[in-house]
Amino acid sequence: MNELANSSTSGGSVLTGPPPAVTAEKLSKIYGSVRACDEVDIELVRGEIHGVLGENGAGKSTLMKMLIGLVLPDKGSIAVDGKPVTIRDPLDAADLGIGMVHQHFSLVEALTVWENVALGDNSRIDRNRTRDRVAELSHEYGLDVNPDDRVEDLPVGMRQRVELLKCLRRDPSVLILDEPTSVLTPEESEQLFDSLRKVVGEENRAVALVSHRLSEILHATDRITIMRNGAVIDRCLTKDTDANSLARSMVGREVGLSYSGLDNSNKDSDVKVKSEPDNESKKIEERFLLELKGISTSSALGVRELNDFNLGIRQGEIFGLAGVEGNGQSSLVEVLSGLKRVSSGHVLLNGEKIPSNRFGQLAKKGVAVIPEDRHDSGVILGMSVSENLLLSNMEEGYKNGFLNKQKRDVRATDLIEKFEINCTGPNAPLWSLSGGNQQRVVLARETSDKPIVLVASQPTRGLDVGAIEYMTRQLRSLADSGVGVLLISSELDEILSLSDRIGVIFRGKIADSMRRQDADRENLGLLMGRGEL
Amino acid sequence: MFSIFKIMSSMRRRSEIVFLYACSTFVALLLSAIIVEAVGANWTDVWNSLLDGSLRKPGRWGKTLGSAVPMAMVAVGTIISTKVGLINIGQEGQMLVGAAFAAYVGAHAPGSGPIVICLVIIGGFVGGAFWSGLAGALRYWRNVPEVLTTLLLVTVAANLVGYALKNTWLLLDPDAAFGNRALVSKQLDPDSRLPRVEIFGNNFSLSVILALLIIVLTTWVLSQTVIGFKLNVVGENRRVGQRFGISEVKQGLMAMCASGGFAGLAGAMMLASGDFAKYRLVTGFTVNLGWTGLLVALVAREKVMAIIPVALIFAGLRTGSSFLAATGVERRVTDVVQGLLVLALLVPPAILFIRDRRRALAQVESRT
Repeated sequence: MNELANSSTSGGSVLTGPPPAVTAEKLSKIYGSVRACDEVDIELVRGEIHGVLGENGAGKSTLMKMLIGLVLPDKGSIAVDGKPVTIRDPLDAADLGIGMVHQHFSLVEALTVWENVALGDNSRIDRNRTRDRVAELSHEYGLDVNPDDRVEDLPVGMRQRVELLKCLRRDPSVLILDEPTSVLTPEESEQLFDSLRKVVGEENRAVALVSHRLSEILHATDRITIMRNGAVIDRCLTKDTDANSLARSMVGREVGLSYSGLDNSNKDSDVKVKSEPDNESKKIEERFLLELKGISTSSALGVRELNDFNLGIRQGEIFGLAGVEGNGQSSLVEVLSGLKRVSSGHVLLNGEKIPSNRFGQLAKKGVAVIPEDRHDSGVILGMSVSENLLLSNMEEGYKNGFLNKQKRDVRATDLIEKFEINCTGPNAPLWSLSGGNQQRVVLARETSDKPIVLVASQPTRGLDVGAIEYMTRQLRSLADSGVGVLLISSELDEILSLSDRIGVIFRGKIADSMRRQDADRENLGLLMGRGEL
Repeated sequence: MFSIFKIMSSMRRRSEIVFLYACSTFVALLLSAIIVEAVGANWTDVWNSLLDGSLRKPGRWGKTLGSAVPMAMVAVGTIISTKVGLINIGQEGQMLVGAAFAAYVGAHAPGSGPIVICLVIIGGFVGGAFWSGLAGALRYWRNVPEVLTTLLLVTVAANLVGYALKNTWLLLDPDAAFGNRALVSKQLDPDSRLPRVEIFGNNFSLSVILALLIIVLTTWVLSQTVIGFKLNVVGENRRVGQRFGISEVKQGLMAMCASGGFAGLAGAMMLASGDFAKYRLVTGFTVNLGWTGLLVALVAREKVMAIIPVALIFAGLRTGSSFLAATGVERRVTDVVQGLLVLALLVPPAILFIRDRRRALAQVESRT
């Protein structure tokens, strides 16, 4: 330990030039049994874009949050410009010149761009000066934003720029970007990287770019750290590496084989899927469990969301719907949840038309949904676990309208056991459960009544590694038992590793769909980015 | 081990709540005593006359029960609308409309006594439900905030009932022989009044028993039936409800009508029990009991059973205050005491809520 620490601190002075902007050594963070970060070392050097690559849940975000003070490390040390520091919160980090652009925007939509940039200032806000400064910065970095625009009127790419401006205005020496391109189109990403180049090259700042996208890491960085399961697997210079070797270290296995590689039984299903289409299932293929025909919807403001959307889900398959967020996915889930009326088109379940003006019909007839935001339409935080489990089938707890508490609790206890929900019992209030366990409550409720189709929207978002694996295994085994699964995800890796067929949604329409065997990353990326090949 | 820890912490929590309630009530009583002393009276005298007026003097606790009934009914209705996430604060108006409907039915309904009594009570419920239903309909039809409409409809109700009391074809007593007959409705016939019970020199009407039954029944419906479950679902998360076919509009309208209905019922009971205005509807008939009932619900905090003690205490303050004149203290001082008590009973849950939220936030922060 000591030896290592000595060698690296002295290493800084042995090397010609100043010490790295940030040096982190043996940073560790453990949540329960999950090692989010396990003795991770990283150096961010001025004048360099440092790529941090890894799958979801590899520990990239945790590492960055420790640098910015959002997460306190269990162990390890951080030094800024060679001086050891403790970072307790983002304000400490800001004082040390470390700024971060988060994956999820933290903008006030009702305010204008310059007002958002000025937020958090302690002194009197000088309107003209802030506006000028925003204009100046946006010009300087090629981040073309009008300071007087309201944030709610801006597309996501522009909002990203505002986030970046917010950060740059404080003149940070170290800039951390967490998955900055997850909601951007390829062109917008390109512009972002150009700006970053300027930040690094002309002003000698250090940038850390966190991503799980090989192409942009290869394209935009100088140096790469690859993480897997909370540990650093590999470090290299970008110019010395290529996509294949990066993918190998990131995933820990040959990428081509990642398809349903989660448990052994899938080897069989692998074979099945490949052999079936040739032999007997030609006629089965024609039958859809769930069919959407010409569905169109509009938002409350009259903006078209789904536009003549067509989709069919077959028995026993996982249909992966890929796409950049905001192309109509949430509207699709709302329609299938019975939360939104369609302006035209209809939904067929087993060939039967389901009226979209009668709420609750889809759920009753067997369309289960794991919503993207479970707190919005998945669970009731203020009610107990058993009550939440009861929602889909109230007869299970109410006989002729009267509560049968014993029956309700026995059912809940069974489901808690079967789905390994970690809680104090059927009467535990739902808010007392962790996110992963809340998600299990949703899964338990939605799948316990033998659904025909399961719609899973971003089912693994915000979950830890173990929970993600559990969820993906459940989806696979549901499909194997004959349920048609519609998996909606903006994570291409998730889509690629789970789906039997893949479709890409672009501007409210299916741009194209194909069998998993015929899909490749590049084509999907193009379809997601511009809707055509 | 873990469960033992949980039980311990829930026990500690319970004793904390009791302790906080004791402290805040003590502070409220202390402040009340100081105010009484400040206006030049003796607080023990005041205390004794309050007890005399509400409990000790002959016949007084019957009076207290009579006042507690309408407050309790209003509070039951308030809790029902709160369950579904709607805020009804127009009970004063709903009571008045209910009482007006009841008075009209009482004056015009044919049939024998017991049937008329039932019709009077039902008429009160329907009147109140109609009045709050207006606010509910506006809420779901045009998205008008029910807080505003319920409140504003109080004034409308007062004026409409005032108009009805000026016209014989509506409510005004047609008996020209009745002296001061302006703005007074026809008295209920003796056989269409709620019977009164006499125990230990106190008498009270059957409305007390009816109110107890309603409180027990409401508790049961809310906690043990699918109706209560659905109301709760809509109140907690209407989108989840909608997904499973529980209509926000249907549940909301139902709860709103029930809420006003119970306020109307309170009005009908006041009319038919004879504790107020001698079986007649008069102007200002509701004597602010609707507002007090709202306070009762505020203190009972969604627990229907808790209405009983709270309503009794508030009713006691009300009947006790009429004995204050002898002590030289303005009777309105009980309003101050009542206000302080409401504050005292609201502060502990607020403190716990703020503390819990702060802890939860700290936990979330250390987790992410």
